[in-house]
Amino acid sequence: MKGKKMKDTFARMYRSPQYRIWLWILGFFTMLATYITYKSKKGKDTFAKVKEELRGRQELQDQKEKFYQDALVQVRKKNEYFKKTVSDSEVEKQAKAIAERNFEQLLQDKAQEKAEMQGVQEITVASCYAALIGNPVFMIVSIILSFPMYILMILFMRPIAKYVTERLFLMIFVLFGVTWLVFTILYIAPMDPALNILGQTATQEQIDSFRHIYGLDQPYLTQLVNTFKNLITFDLGNAYQGNEPVMTAIMAKFPITMQVTFSSMIVALIISIPAGIISAIKPYSSFDYIAMFIALLGLSIPNFWLGLMMILAISVNLGLLPASFQPGNWMTLIMPAIVVGTGMSASIARMTRSSMLEVKTSDYVLTARAKGLPEKKVVLKHILGNAMIPIITMVGMSFGNLMGGAAVTEKVFNINGIGSYIVAKQSIPDIPVVLAGVVYISFVVSLLNLIVDILYAFIDPRIKSKMKNY
Amino acid sequence: MAKNQMTKNESLYLKKVNRRKLSGSLEYTTSKLAYQVTAVLVFALVIWQIVLPLAGGKELSTISTALTAVYGVEFLLQLITVKRIEKEITGAAGEISNTTRKLGILLVPFVVTGNFLLFIAGAMLLKKEKNLEYQLAVYSLLVNIFIILISLFNLFKETLVDTFWLGIGFYTLYSVLNLVIIGAVSKYTFGKKPDKKFMPFAVICLLGIALGNVFSFVLGLITIGKYRNKNEEVSVEWIDVIKRLFRNYTAVIGMFFVVLFIGISIGSNLTFDYDLAIANNFSARLAEPSLMYPFGYDDYGRCVFTRIIFGASISLIVGLVSTIVPIIIGGILGAIAGFYGGTRDNAIMRVMDVLNAVPSILLAIAIIAAFGVSTMNLILALSVSVIPSYARTVRAQVLGISNQEFVEAAKACGAKNGTIIFKHIIPNSLAPVIVQATMGIGSAVLSTSSLSYLGIGVEAHVPEWGNILKAGSTFLETNPYIAIYPGLAIIIIVLAFNFFGDGLRDALDPKLK
Repeated sequence: MKGKKMKDTFARMYRSPQYRIWLWILGFFTMLATYITYKSKKGKDTFAKVKEELRGRQELQDQKEKFYQDALVQVRKKNEYFKKTVSDSEVEKQAKAIAERNFEQLLQDKAQEKAEMQGVQEITVASCYAALIGNPVFMIVSIILSFPMYILMILFMRPIAKYVTERLFLMIFVLFGVTWLVFTILYIAPMDPALNILGQTATQEQIDSFRHIYGLDQPYLTQLVNTFKNLITFDLGNAYQGNEPVMTAIMAKFPITMQVTFSSMIVALIISIPAGIISAIKPYSSFDYIAMFIALLGLSIPNFWLGLMMILAISVNLGLLPASFQPGNWMTLIMPAIVVGTGMSASIARMTRSSMLEVKTSDYVLTARAKGLPEKKVVLKHILGNAMIPIITMVGMSFGNLMGGAAVTEKVFNINGIGSYIVAKQSIPDIPVVLAGVVYISFVVSLLNLIVDILYAFIDPRIKSKMKNY
Repeated sequence: MAKNQMTKNESLYLKKVNRRKLSGSLEYTTSKLAYQVTAVLVFALVIWQIVLPLAGGKELSTISTALTAVYGVEFLLQLITVKRIEKEITGAAGEISNTTRKLGILLVPFVVTGNFLLFIAGAMLLKKEKNLEYQLAVYSLLVNIFIILISLFNLFKETLVDTFWLGIGFYTLYSVLNLVIIGAVSKYTFGKKPDKKFMPFAVICLLGIALGNVFSFVLGLITIGKYRNKNEEVSVEWIDVIKRLFRNYTAVIGMFFVVLFIGISIGSNLTFDYDLAIANNFSARLAEPSLMYPFGYDDYGRCVFTRIIFGASISLIVGLVSTIVPIIIGGILGAIAGFYGGTRDNAIMRVMDVLNAVPSILLAIAIIAAFGVSTMNLILALSVSVIPSYARTVRAQVLGISNQEFVEAAKACGAKNGTIIFKHIIPNSLAPVIVQATMGIGSAVLSTSSLSYLGIGVEAHVPEWGNILKAGSTFLETNPYIAIYPGLAIIIIVLAFNFFGDGLRDALDPKLK
């Protein structure tokens, strides 16, 4: 049973060109053995004999001539319509190609038909593999020698795992692209870190030695490869200014930013989802108008201004909460979370309202009401449940804005996070810090977006079933 | 019991009918919003009376007391008007009586106190038949009056800029012309085609763009467009869109503020003194708000009010350019990707994925880190980070449209790809891009001020709202007004663009056609 599943998976994977390459890379020895068997068997099997026998038949040769004549007319008509003048030999060449293609197709079909009747199977790589894997010795050896291929096959067998793997794979490429982009921008920059750190009075020697220490004198490609290597191994060396290890600083600041991000997301969800639901249930009511006006206001207020005003009102005038953030003191987290959260809640509330309004008029909502479900259940299960996908997309997108906008809020509340770290170092520009900050934040944002995409499958059964056939 | 139920149903039905009648009347909607907002303003002013001593500015307290009283009167007057309108529309006559219409004359002059809603309500009440042209002319006059009013604040200053009276003269002259146009509009533009006698006025309207008055420019365009329209049975499509836009009152108010800011940023060059916005005056450092300097001084002794006024042009220019550039680049890339598909689509969209993976403000910070702080670099940074969103929108649109029959028909007729893209696909896929762009200008203004606040946007000496806020945040405890007012300016302009964009989305919705 298990063996059959493995054979099927192999056949399916071998059919797609991308996976074929990965099969060769990850399971070279198994593939080599399979391919050699295939080559030696090919041409000597019964199927090939059937095919050759058919090829020799007169009726099929006639058919080939007919194909050729048809193709000739077709090519001539086409050229005539588009008013193109093409030489006769060119026309014949094109017609021959078309005829040849059609003939091969026909031959393959006929041969398969006949072979099926005689009970003969065509020899393919997949069938060779199936034959080989039936041998327990080969199976064990193959699993030992090319276990990465089997891991890939196991992933391929599970649709969601396959989807996640493919997305992760694409993400790595995107992140390489991001690294390349940011590195190139910083590389072609007219700003010179050496001059900015050493000052205008620095001698050429000092500048040269600075550039040598940080590898800035190496050619573009070497620097790029080094950057990739450093980012992957989490070893970014020292910052230009202050001489502290970049990774230690980032590791210390990242959790703070994440803490602010997630707490403000929670605030945003607490505000926006109920507001959106009420607005959607009673559209064009006073609550709806006021809530949507506030939401539009929330979209228009600059976060940092709201932060400043809250500091002015709550910290300075009323003295209720401390103005600047201290790690470990949750009281100081309240204001940043509320400021960023209200800004975010605006777009989520608008999205909740519009997507619920769209679903609200569907037939199944009417059915749910008609069969006497309590209103609460209709709203929460049928309307909100089916309106969830755009809302979740919005939440996913908001993470990007939150992490990107962190720099601004962090400055207002004096939070020692990754955003303010990048801003503090950008004027030099401290290349490793800026690069690592941007790439790692992009990585986290992409990862969060991936999680959101996978969440789709758990929320929407339609998407889940689509993924199963993926 | 049954009878009771029936009367209940009947009254519910009547209520619905009345509500529909009321919401269909422009007089009612404008008046209602006017009295509601005036009520909120009175409330806010009363609170301000209490807070003002905390925020500084004792000199202004008598003025603001007077202002509160005037606004209270405005509120009462408007409330009476609304009640009368409500009674008359739902009453037997079903329409507003002439006596009530005459109340409009009382409402209009209150524009001097800055209450534009009362002005609009009054103007809509005065006239029985209001076509699109009349509304445009009224709004255009309103913009002029506001620019004059704001400019007149300079009269309290010790010195006036040389061109001050020239500027005021221009605007007064144009306002008078505008009044004439309002008269002419109601006389000549009824029916499907405007009278030929109106054409000289239309040219004057077009000239309004020199003063930044977009309303009068649009009025000129519409009359000329209608005049040149050969087939009278078919209405011009873009005029219909504007008509639908003007049915949405909040969108029009958003548009009014956008136009006002455009007008101010042009008019301020004549009536405001740029030196006050950039020259240091340490003797007046951090002085409190007064009539002479309504929003006080900042830490270099510069007039915050003048700085905010000049900040409008910078914000609008950065917002506009950093929206137009990505529309062009992203639009072309998206159109190519959507139309040709295959490898080109894949290649372009993967590059867009890369750009999209970086949060936009971070990408902007990286670009500015590399190229240094300047307005040009800011525009570049903001443009690059929004290219993917436009490319995606256009691509999705083009994908949808290029599968439709008329594109297939064009292909079958042997049209070249370029012709198909530029003549058939792009005009049909513009609507969502326009809406996105309107909102995009607002968010570009936000991003500009955020980056300036971080010190990496516009150069620090330039009067830009984020820069003023940055200075204000340092003196938050002692001089909060420096931070409060530029923030309000940002909110108003972004909110205006958002309202305008929302209205445009509805007006461009193909389902409404």
